[in-house]
Amino acid sequence: MQPKKFILNPTRTAKQGSQINVGKFGDEYQKIVTTLEISPADMESLGVATGDSVRVSTEFGEAVFQCTEAKVPDGLLFIPYGPPTCRLMNGDTDGTGMPTSKGWEVEVVRVDAPE
Amino acid sequence: MPKSKFLPRGRKDRTAVLVDIRPTKSAKACDIFLQVRPGKDFELITILRALIKDQKVSEEAVAETGVSLEQCNDLVDRMKKAKFGCMFFGMGLSMTRGKHMNSAALLTLATEMNAFTKFVAMPMRGHGNVTGADVVMRWQTGYPFGITFNRGYPRYNPGEFSTVDVLVRGDTDAAFIIGADPGATMPQPAIDHLARIPTIVLDPHITHTSKLSRVHITTSVAGISAPGTAYRMDEIPLPLKPALKSPYPTDEEVVRRIKDAIAKKRFWMPEGEQMITAQI
Repeated sequence: MQPKKFILNPTRTAKQGSQINVGKFGDEYQKIVTTLEISPADMESLGVATGDSVRVSTEFGEAVFQCTEAKVPDGLLFIPYGPPTCRLMNGDTDGTGMPTSKGWEVEVVRVDAPE
Repeated sequence: MPKSKFLPRGRKDRTAVLVDIRPTKSAKACDIFLQVRPGKDFELITILRALIKDQKVSEEAVAETGVSLEQCNDLVDRMKKAKFGCMFFGMGLSMTRGKHMNSAALLTLATEMNAFTKFVAMPMRGHGNVTGADVVMRWQTGYPFGITFNRGYPRYNPGEFSTVDVLVRGDTDAAFIIGADPGATMPQPAIDHLARIPTIVLDPHITHTSKLSRVHITTSVAGISAPGTAYRMDEIPLPLKPALKSPYPTDEEVVRRIKDAIAKKRFWMPEGEQMITAQI
């Protein structure tokens, strides 16, 4: 299956913020940072359902996330930031000190089993 | 929201406008929601800057931002009629393409709005005491972040001395991390370098950075089991009183003990005297 292109926005959520104080190695935190919000139309085009795994890759790295249907614009993906999104991030800051942490072009493809 | 002499009806006398790339829970709490296309913040702000000065803008240029000219004109009208406007901006501006130029455009818009009415801009902060770190570095060194002391006096240059750049280039041969978790937030090349060099972590929790560090020292939690000062988003310092006792030392105590131990060591260069002195 050909990978499809999307724009990925790593985000913050209140739940993720509170889980930081509970512990980053708990199941709850791990679930939050590996959940990808995607629009119903995009899910259909990828041929995935809620709970299915997708491989998101950039030119710098790749990670596997579980899809969840959400009211987000088509073509955009949202993931609470964490170690999996770090693997996709470019280390170059363009001389600003700030790596581009949102608005990445990514390729997404369905995977049959989570890694 | 508080009721006041000039805003007797509280929230009803205020207008909240949200600009985002998707409708969030905040959109429901606001009066107007403008959905901007991803990466078009700078363009939208520049169009608003033109409109407040009654300059002509092309409809195509406006349409590209995802917001209509009518919506822009309405926003400008409301901004000019406001008695006191405040723009809050977050990482959607500062961490996307354009980065500080997006923030600079918004600050310029806030400045220019003062020709019509009172306007300010304030960055939205994340968790913890982010503002405190900036404020203290500012009054100690004159700069908020991205500072090097390697010549014995502070120098500032984001992109050169900022943490991510220093780590990604592999400039450092040791890292001392206090109350942060770069192992779960920074780009992978920076994380890889932290794992290569001796990294020491001070944190109340075991974090991803602790896992890749050589030494993790558990410290008490500021505001819960350690005293300190946290700065509010508007830079108001709030003294923290610990409610609980902790078996762990505070960050300050650990840093002080490390510093005192270094003061007793010989200077690291073949010539010269130890520059670090024990704290009185």
